[in-house]
Amino acid sequence: MTSRSKELLFLLPAMLLTTIGFAIVFVRQAEAFELSSLAPGAAFLGLFGLLHVARRLVVPAADPYLLPITALLSSLGILMIYRADPRLAAQQAVWLVVGSVAFVIVLVGLRRFERLREYKYLIGLGGIALLVLTMVAGREVYGARLWIRVGPVGFQPPEFAKLFLVVFFAAYLDQVREMLTVSTRRFLGVALPPLRHLGPLITVWGLSLALMIFLKDLGTSLLFFGTLLALIYVATARFFYVVVGTGLFAAGASVLYQIFPHVQLRVGIWLDPWQDPLGGGYQIVQSLFAFAAGGLFGRGLGEGYLHLASGSTIIPALETDFIFSAIGEELGLVGAVAIVLLYLVFVQRGLRVALRSHDDFARLLATGLTAVFGLQAFLILGGVTKLIPLTGITLPFVSYGGSSIVSNFCLLALLLVVSERAAGGDGRGSGGPAGAGAGTRVGSGAGARAGLTVDGRAESV
Amino acid sequence: MERQIQKLFWFFAVLFLALIAQLSYVQVWAAPELRTHANNTRAVEREMRVERGSVVSSDGVLLAGNRKEGVYFLRDYPEGALVSPWLGYSSLRYGRSGLERAYNLELAGETDALVVRSYIDLLTGRPHRGADLVLTIDSRVQRAAVDALGGAAGAVVALDPRTGAVLAMTSSPRFDPRTLDDDWASLIEDESRPLVDRAVQGLYPPGSVFKLVVAAAGLEEGVVTPGTMFEDEGSWLAGGYRVSNNDGKVFGQHDFAEALTRSVNTTFAKVGVDLGADTLARYAADFGIGSAPSWRLGGASGSFPAPAGLDTAHVAQASFGQGEVLVTPLQMALVTAGIANGGTVMAPYLVAEVRDYSQTVLEKADPTRVNSPISEATAGEVRDMMVQVVERGTGTAAAISGVEVAGKTGTAQVEGGASHAWFVGFAPADDPVIVVAVLVEHGGSGGGTAAPIARAVLRAALER
Repeated sequence: MTSRSKELLFLLPAMLLTTIGFAIVFVRQAEAFELSSLAPGAAFLGLFGLLHVARRLVVPAADPYLLPITALLSSLGILMIYRADPRLAAQQAVWLVVGSVAFVIVLVGLRRFERLREYKYLIGLGGIALLVLTMVAGREVYGARLWIRVGPVGFQPPEFAKLFLVVFFAAYLDQVREMLTVSTRRFLGVALPPLRHLGPLITVWGLSLALMIFLKDLGTSLLFFGTLLALIYVATARFFYVVVGTGLFAAGASVLYQIFPHVQLRVGIWLDPWQDPLGGGYQIVQSLFAFAAGGLFGRGLGEGYLHLASGSTIIPALETDFIFSAIGEELGLVGAVAIVLLYLVFVQRGLRVALRSHDDFARLLATGLTAVFGLQAFLILGGVTKLIPLTGITLPFVSYGGSSIVSNFCLLALLLVVSERAAGGDGRGSGGPAGAGAGTRVGSGAGARAGLTVDGRAESV
Repeated sequence: MERQIQKLFWFFAVLFLALIAQLSYVQVWAAPELRTHANNTRAVEREMRVERGSVVSSDGVLLAGNRKEGVYFLRDYPEGALVSPWLGYSSLRYGRSGLERAYNLELAGETDALVVRSYIDLLTGRPHRGADLVLTIDSRVQRAAVDALGGAAGAVVALDPRTGAVLAMTSSPRFDPRTLDDDWASLIEDESRPLVDRAVQGLYPPGSVFKLVVAAAGLEEGVVTPGTMFEDEGSWLAGGYRVSNNDGKVFGQHDFAEALTRSVNTTFAKVGVDLGADTLARYAADFGIGSAPSWRLGGASGSFPAPAGLDTAHVAQASFGQGEVLVTPLQMALVTAGIANGGTVMAPYLVAEVRDYSQTVLEKADPTRVNSPISEATAGEVRDMMVQVVERGTGTAAAISGVEVAGKTGTAQVEGGASHAWFVGFAPADDPVIVVAVLVEHGGSGGGTAAPIARAVLRAALER
């Protein structure tokens, strides 16, 4: 079976889930089954069918699992958003369409993604500009300043800044990695690179801390810094950078902890939300109650207890930050673990793309994109389950939010483009023969899957 | 670079496995605790969306209903404290008690029969609501009992001896379910224990009302007849224990019927000792003392000491209801009902019918015989003796003109306080439709304090 047909096959569960899921929820509400209950499923079928066709035409040899995982996550997401607020689900559907358009644009427009390297400083500045824009014009929502308004539409620049910065660092590290691994001095038996090479990284460290100060958002700051650290580690193969980076971040964070009461509050709530279960700890406590209500198998789709008498959700921001709590309540541990595993599989596929890539920029780019995606998922999943302090960021593809959906579709498209190249395809245009199998193309591709050792390792990931 | 990417994957694997572990902890391991956590209002709020069934008296007075606020139904008790001791409360904060608890599945619409119905409701688009309870309680008799008892600590039970249907039951002091949430702190600290239903949970020495059991046993066993003669000298020595009469009275020559009329302790001690510990214990048990009522509301079992532990002195003491005998007011009502009903004790019940909202009867009470400790003839003899008590004995305060009332007074001595006042009786004596048991804690004499209360209740029941 070709990878493209595999993808079509794996898309089926997502289609079924949306169709049956919406049908169940509708029937629950209307207490009657109507043919229109199947409409969202049909629409979803159409949308992801089109995405599949686009991918098939533009990047036929790319990873066949990433798009079905996205479909599953976003179908479950829109379903749960519908449960929280049907009006938002309609908006989310629009965002999914916008995201799909962005997906196709990136897929087609960045087939030659290597060219991004040439614009790395422009891209980096763009990322910084987006963040500065947020710092200056941002509005505070739930204590974090992440939103700016563009006309009637709320916009979260950090969601896009993360892509810009990943591209920039992948390109930058690709350029300087040789220098960074050169050791001129040894200290306590550890090889130290020249200090001047740390300069740019310390600048970025400063940026992360600035984010924490001005955006009041630990999550975004942690996300950027963690991703950067992962990239540096992969680029230099020096664990030393991880140690130094973690130390720097920890030191900076602890200083900020002393200075800023909102950071202390967040950490205090995480340590013991029961101190103030109706005040600061309310969200996380109610989130835990929701997970507990779900138990092993959940209450069933549409059966969760999500709203107060007033019609607002029990957990504020249910449709964004706390969407996973609703999933945990309605689908139980079984459903929640399935979601976690979907993200892990996404990370595995993404890193596999990195491993199979032939040049360092592609590797670093795939690694960075995957790391930022996986880390974002972990930060919010860990936050709502009280594994780590809660930070307000979205769950990729599942949470409500246009910026999040569109940026993550761009991320996916970029990852698929890199994947296509890694698999030996060169991102042929729509004119190429679609029938050619991935295997044959790989064999004939330049550099052809390179060393067998690399491939062997890749399979083990 | 490959090695680092692989390590990065394992780093992510560890992160996500930690997530799965945390999820398992929250959703399975800690879930029971979280679900019942004091701050978790999910279960309660969910419940508040179902219209809880109403509770009405047999004469159609609403005792528990709902008022609607938004999408929620809040429990409402239009009659306040009238029936609070056993109707109980359904509080969002403090849970449930009494019938609200015993019949919660019906009231919340969650019994198996109602779950099927709720599914049908779902399909047909009707709103689901809990089942209603129709009680045996008659609001007029209930009100008479509450008014007659007044502020005195004690309890009144009135029931139909032919069926066991409870017509009135009250306990004092009691609580107002409408303000329970606000009063809670003071209610649980109040030493007069207003949350305890004295009628079914209160344990008291029965005093002379227990003589009914001894008389029934003596007559049934043939140890005495109503005409058997006794000599009273004011006191009698039994196994080293000196039995004496109330207020040191001396009755001289009298028959057994007169002994009940005048409540002669020495005579009943003699009959009790003649019967022996085993027989006495058997009759006490047959009349229901020592077993909790069979209804869902529960209640104390009371106790008659084990025969093996009873020497002559204790048998003599138990024969006039002192020593280690303990009963609830409901139990004394049932003993009396057994005599009134020709020797057969019927199981008490409060809920006549459970109906769904379309008034279809889901469950109907079926009067059940518990036991027949004595024959109809013996019951008739005891009844005739009890008529004398009210006509010219210690219980004249219970007499009602134009109706023959049978009764027995009790003045149970308690350490460190005034005696508990008892009265049990029924009317009309020849064809009883109502039995009443009255207890007033530290009320003094049964004839003086309890009998007038019983009279008011009997009258209210007869005048219905």
